Amino acid sequence: MNWKQRCMATVAMVSAVGMALAGCGSGASSSTGGAASASSGGKVELTYIHRLPDKPGMTSVEDIVQRWNDANPDIQVKAVHFNGNASDLIKKLETDVKAGNAPDLAQVGYAELPEVFTKGILEDVTAEAEQYKGDFAAGPYELMGIGGKTYGLPQDTGPLVYFYNKAEFDKLGIEVPGTQDELVASAKKAAEQGKYIMSFQADEAGNMLSGLAGASGPWYTVEGDAWKVDTETVGSQAVAKVFQDLLDAKAVATDPRWDPSFDAALQQGRLIGTVGAAWEAPLLMDSMADKGGKGDWRVAQIGDWFGNGSKTGPDGGSGVAAIKGCEHKAEAMKFLDWFNTQIEDLTSQGLVVAASTGTPSTPESWSEFYGGQDVMKEFFDANANMGDFSYIPGFSSVGTAMKEQAAKAAAGTATVESVFSTAQTSSIDTLKDYGLAVSE
Amino acid sequence: MTAHTTTAPARRRRSPAARREERTGWLFMLPFVLLFLLVFIVPIGYAIYSSFFQQVATGGGAYGGGELVNRFVGLENFRYVVTSGEFWAGMGRVLLYTVIQVPLMIVAALVLAMLIDSFVVKHVSGFRLGYFLPYAIPGVIASIIWVYLYNGQISPIVKGLAALGVNVDFFASNVVLGSMVNITTWTFTGYNMLIFLSALQAIPHELYEAARIDGANGWQVAMKVKLPNVRGAALLAMLLSIVGTIQLFNEPQVMQTADPGISYSYTPMMMAFNTSRGFLTPKGDGPASAIAIVMAVIAGLLAMAYAFVERKVSES
Amino acid sequence: MSIATRREARRAERRRERAQADLPRSMRPSKAVKTITVVVLVVALVYFLFPIYWAIVASTKTPSQLTGSNGLWFAVPLNELPDAIAANYATLLGWTSDRFWRWVGNSLLYSCVSALVGTVVSVMAGYATAKFRFRGKGVTIGIIMAAMLMPATLLTIPQYAIFNALHLDNTMLAVIIPCCVSPFGFFLGRVYAQSSVPDELLEAARIDGAGEARIFFTMVLRLLAPAMVTIFLFMFVATWNNFLLPLMMLSSEDLYPVTLGLYGMVSLAVFNDRGALMMGALLGVLPVIILFLTLQRFWRAGLAAGAVKG
Repeated sequence: MNWKQRCMATVAMVSAVGMALAGCGSGASSSTGGAASASSGGKVELTYIHRLPDKPGMTSVEDIVQRWNDANPDIQVKAVHFNGNASDLIKKLETDVKAGNAPDLAQVGYAELPEVFTKGILEDVTAEAEQYKGDFAAGPYELMGIGGKTYGLPQDTGPLVYFYNKAEFDKLGIEVPGTQDELVASAKKAAEQGKYIMSFQADEAGNMLSGLAGASGPWYTVEGDAWKVDTETVGSQAVAKVFQDLLDAKAVATDPRWDPSFDAALQQGRLIGTVGAAWEAPLLMDSMADKGGKGDWRVAQIGDWFGNGSKTGPDGGSGVAAIKGCEHKAEAMKFLDWFNTQIEDLTSQGLVVAASTGTPSTPESWSEFYGGQDVMKEFFDANANMGDFSYIPGFSSVGTAMKEQAAKAAAGTATVESVFSTAQTSSIDTLKDYGLAVSE
Repeated sequence: MTAHTTTAPARRRRSPAARREERTGWLFMLPFVLLFLLVFIVPIGYAIYSSFFQQVATGGGAYGGGELVNRFVGLENFRYVVTSGEFWAGMGRVLLYTVIQVPLMIVAALVLAMLIDSFVVKHVSGFRLGYFLPYAIPGVIASIIWVYLYNGQISPIVKGLAALGVNVDFFASNVVLGSMVNITTWTFTGYNMLIFLSALQAIPHELYEAARIDGANGWQVAMKVKLPNVRGAALLAMLLSIVGTIQLFNEPQVMQTADPGISYSYTPMMMAFNTSRGFLTPKGDGPASAIAIVMAVIAGLLAMAYAFVERKVSES
Repeated sequence: MSIATRREARRAERRRERAQADLPRSMRPSKAVKTITVVVLVVALVYFLFPIYWAIVASTKTPSQLTGSNGLWFAVPLNELPDAIAANYATLLGWTSDRFWRWVGNSLLYSCVSALVGTVVSVMAGYATAKFRFRGKGVTIGIIMAAMLMPATLLTIPQYAIFNALHLDNTMLAVIIPCCVSPFGFFLGRVYAQSSVPDELLEAARIDGAGEARIFFTMVLRLLAPAMVTIFLFMFVATWNNFLLPLMMLSSEDLYPVTLGLYGMVSLAVFNDRGALMMGALLGVLPVIILFLTLQRFWRAGLAAGAVKG
């Protein structure tokens, strides 16, 4: 580390001279990066960095925080919107923590939390968060913890549910399938008419296939101090079997989720049913918008398709974690508890909140699209039915490997089963590369 | 990359004038060198330094002790890169890409420049500007636009071709590299064309006079007078394009959203980036730096080989 | 870059055009050649402009219209077009929290300052290596050229670490300083200085007793003016298009350049307002295009200087 410090000092000097010479200083106004928390005269200042959409029509994070700041002159919060994706943010936090000027609070996905912990970015707030436990659903609260300690508070959840076009289903004379056999049969029946009631999304494979498999049981468990990895559980095999059947029968849409062709498939009425995370509800609305389907769509719980009984699995969702170096943990949690329970405002951001302090009402535009259904209630039921699934440090590289393999499966050059065997090897590799113990 | 330097014979004792020259030279160099140290050398040094480390968790437990430490791994990262099939597959793709894209673009730029310069058509400024416009579009945006134009559900091109009975899939595994070639070519052809055009317009008028007196026709003028005079510009453009294409990143990265079949290590640069972002394992800056360094060395060797061959050819 | 240079360039072009007009029979193009030339040029023009045309059309569409309507034409009747444009413009401003034009302004500032400083610095260094002998010159040139091989994207993280240590992160300098340095700019500066600064002129000035700084700033810079415009534009575009560097360096939105704002839209998984994105991209590119148009003559002249010697 000494080498580094010396090197930095040299650089500092060199650059100062360089700037003076180059006249770079002109025309640059510097606003000091007030990232680190500072307290002056009893007043606490916190920085909160987030990746919420802040789209037009939503209650902006800035506005929500402003309300807090007006009411709490002693705890002033600065909300910073990060304009990159999740991995960019983790990279930035990593560097900031090393440099000692990290924000106090940051948005972290549940699937990323173990990795972020392993990287040494988190601050233990077990004691400070404890009192707010009752304000949140139990599952998500657990996901903000690692090894019995808590590192933040949950914000939103992403239980997997089933979205479908009821009008089209009625036309085909099918219903939301209850069992595996019914699912496959209905899908084949729909395919005969050129319609798909399921989608195999290679680019979401890491999150969705793990979530579906996770509905019936975890992949990763800790025994002693070592990981036990089994990504080829009975649930995984069931997921593989169903999708393989559907792929072989060409009875499933294979458009990648984030490609415009997925939207096109919805608009053209080819895709009339798909598994999706709860937070996709407004996105599906946007994709179809004025192209019909309004009022025809519904939300249902996932059937017992993969030996999952009535359970479902997680896909996405995130919490806000305390970042290492956060000095005012109690104040930070106090604010966070308040912020994460602003149900109405957070719902406007398209989130299915993790807070249990109230039931959010379904926004009007949502219920219009979903035929007057109280979709929020469906999501909450799904939330309560979430299987027990947790992630390992470095899960993102497992997700990558699964995506690549799933793309091959979609193209017919690999089996869906191999997606899960790939997950197995890549899980073990990533743990070992981190130097963590794996019991085989 | 070779730098042709004016080598001064080493003199043991320098005259006051020479010393003054030395001082002045360095003073003029100083601002650039200082900035260069800060922006390039120190970060490169850091990258090289970190390429000997990997980040691992210590402190036991399933999640580690809540902190990653740098573990010195010697040449392990380099061993990983050099023995990685993914890396070489990516290198192979990039080389194939370079072999197709660079000549295609240079020839296209050259042809367009010569046609414009032929004055067969008057009022060429519209063409000139039109060809150049794509260069102003940021690479990421250009890729997004083309991804749309490749998409069977949206693209008027694909739909139009389909209506004519031609079904193309721009994302098919044997076509997708060509689709990327097209994006790069679209963006940079106009830029190169302008360089060639300038070179053409710098040809002294007397050369044309001479050709005219010799009774040469337009084609002969193009081949005998114009082409040799833009050779220098073309070779330079080639060299810079080779270095640029080896680092191919934007196009595949954006196209991946539409085609998950494009892997995270599709090109070495993507592999390095995704390693640094933790999407591939082993992950982190150590292995990522090693990938970048091996890649830079290969690019350097290629550039040197190119310069060497070019010199040999021009000597003979 | 005086008006005189500009006028001269124009005159030279006209001279060539005239010369072309009274070519002998043997050099006049036949009708067939003429037709083929025109066809090739027009086809090429369509190729280069079609995607931009498509982007303009797309910038007026909602996400569902993008996939659901004819890609060649607007999704709404022409009289409703202003509303469609206004709607997407509002979406764009919403996405960027009304900071869009501020970000365009930031981009302009970053690009101008770093291109200006970078050009002067590059030309100084290029001039030094072209016209002076000093120890370590060969090695320095070699290292600078070799740096071109290092992918800039991967240097961003270490650069961020360094600027962080200097407490310069989240300042405008954090974007400007790294963009001030371009090995390619140095390379061009060197080539230009070799080709368009005669040694005799320098000698004469020195004999007249002019100092080195004076020679450089009053004489050499003027000789290199067209070359400098080229380097300036090159660096301007490079800075304008950079998004990874500002993404890492900046945390306050008020400092964002426009590309970062657009990247932010794309990087959210929930993003699908691609029409608004297209509008942002087109509006964001406008200043660059205007700059190119106004400076066209200078930098074409500059390119020539570099190209011949290259």
